[in-house]
Amino acid sequence: MSTEEATTVRARPEPIKAVPVRHPGRWVTIAVLAVLTAMFLHVLLTNDAFQWSFMIDNMFRPPIINGLVQGTVLMTVSAMVIGVGLGVAIAVMRLSTNPILRTVSWLYTWFFRAVPRLVLLAVFGNIGILWSRLEFGVPFDTQIGQLFGIDGMELRLFGFDSRDVLTGFMAGLLGLALSEAAYMAEIVRAGIQSVDPGQGEAAGALGMSRGQTLRRVVLPQAMRMIIPPTGNETIAMLKDTSLLMYVPVSMELFFQLDAVGKRTFQIFPMYVAACLWYLLLSSILLIGQYFLERHFGKGYGQTERARFRLRNLAAETGGGAAGAGGTVGGTPDGTGSGTGGTPG
Amino acid sequence: MTGATIPEQATPPEAEADATVMVRAENVHKSSGHLEVLRGVDLEVRAGEVCCVLGPSGSGKSTFLRCINHLEKIDGGRIWVDDELVGYRERGGRLHELREKEVAAQRRSIGMVFQRFNLFPHMTALENVIEAPIRVRRESRAEARKRGTDLLERVGLADKVNTYPGKLSGGQQQRVAIARALAMRPKVMLFDEPTSALDPELVGEVLDVMKDLARDGMTMIVVTHEIGFAREVGDSLVFMDGGVVVESGLPREVIANPKHERTRAFLAKVL
Repeated sequence: MSTEEATTVRARPEPIKAVPVRHPGRWVTIAVLAVLTAMFLHVLLTNDAFQWSFMIDNMFRPPIINGLVQGTVLMTVSAMVIGVGLGVAIAVMRLSTNPILRTVSWLYTWFFRAVPRLVLLAVFGNIGILWSRLEFGVPFDTQIGQLFGIDGMELRLFGFDSRDVLTGFMAGLLGLALSEAAYMAEIVRAGIQSVDPGQGEAAGALGMSRGQTLRRVVLPQAMRMIIPPTGNETIAMLKDTSLLMYVPVSMELFFQLDAVGKRTFQIFPMYVAACLWYLLLSSILLIGQYFLERHFGKGYGQTERARFRLRNLAAETGGGAAGAGGTVGGTPDGTGSGTGGTPG
Repeated sequence: MTGATIPEQATPPEAEADATVMVRAENVHKSSGHLEVLRGVDLEVRAGEVCCVLGPSGSGKSTFLRCINHLEKIDGGRIWVDDELVGYRERGGRLHELREKEVAAQRRSIGMVFQRFNLFPHMTALENVIEAPIRVRRESRAEARKRGTDLLERVGLADKVNTYPGKLSGGQQQRVAIARALAMRPKVMLFDEPTSALDPELVGEVLDVMKDLARDGMTMIVVTHEIGFAREVGDSLVFMDGGVVVESGLPREVIANPKHERTRAFLAKVL
């Protein structure tokens, strides 16, 4: 305490008034950008090909809004739900001690990451060529029947007509979700591996099984690493729903916009409309992602203080308002002094 | 070899026939890669005894401790905890690896405290303590909470029950970790340099809890650099270097007159 007094006794020196470093390069950049922006605006306003009024008249028509809701949005949500669920399972398989599960998991990610989504969607859209009916029952039943001299033995429980089930939405969903699962598996795996191995050891030393350790200890901590890239994946998925027109799925935003464009021979304005729609939807997701990231992983692993802030956030959830209000900016509330500072 | 399962062999030397052997290691070997970390470690710790393991870093003392609850697999030798072979079953003259579940069952009765605490950061102090009793021992939530609160009180953290590890000091975190291990009602407690990651002023509070435990008759194996603790609380002291036990005996005697040159050199540096 006495040393503190000693330092405060000394007169505070005059604040420094230094000449700041000049940045002439910035002014040049601004000038160049101003010219480019002016050129861009000029094109937007003077080029007749944009057909602005036509675009605005047509981009909110009911089939387009239907496609947006029932195709793009619903597809994004469903594909991500399946993709995340399956991805977690595949990641866990990959990290399992069972070499068979590890291999299956590796093969899955290898295949679905190697084949482009567009190609995958085209394949699933045309899978009806391979099987006209999908049936479930005893595998190789006809072949087994032939072994015993029975012709045309069929042990089937139930089946569908491919054209009823695997067209449009379902085929597209399958393609997108399966492909997404492969990417999510890699993200989840990275998340799990980022958790301190000491955590698993501590749980193991307490007699917890591998499953319990994963569910109760490792995954909850991995979530903080997994959630931010999952936000990116969701935005990517939203944009990739435009690939559905190659399945084809007709109830979908881009298909509908494209259809209007082709029917009216005004293709370009409808493509601009598509840009604007995807911009809008992505921006909404970006806002959501911003809040999610701030909640779960902002600066995670970068600074100790950020990590402590995270723990405090977790500590105060329930009273989430405190976390939301208090964490903006630097928060010099002493949370950084967690390990060493406060003696018991 | 087969006589190993019958512990009678070990009892005669001492007169204390009442104290049964809790942990016994015989010729334990362990390599990682080309490095031989353990090159034949023998150790015997009786029930209620506090055994302190000293040694320079890289001497294999932490590795040995981790072998006792099978966090590390051993390449040779045998370890028994309470007459039960750790990690293996001997049947028909051959060793069979235990299933994951069986290993987990063995670990239940072996408490472990880590150098870096390893508390679960997403759970409060109490949640950390009651997690394994509820999931593993299938205790009721109410029962576990009651005992967990008692244990936290015992380590002097009654007011930190609902605090997250991130808001606790290192000393407090380590005390929660001790309470967490005790909640499983272990037969033996392993401490892996429990105070090495602590600020000097926080070491005392953790050692006090450990002294308290020792007084209550807990069997403890403590890998430590705290010579004072070893002298004051330890019933036996083991000095390891180069993957073998160099010297062992009563702590006071070993510390006062080390017989082996390496022990002497180490103590001279530490004291």
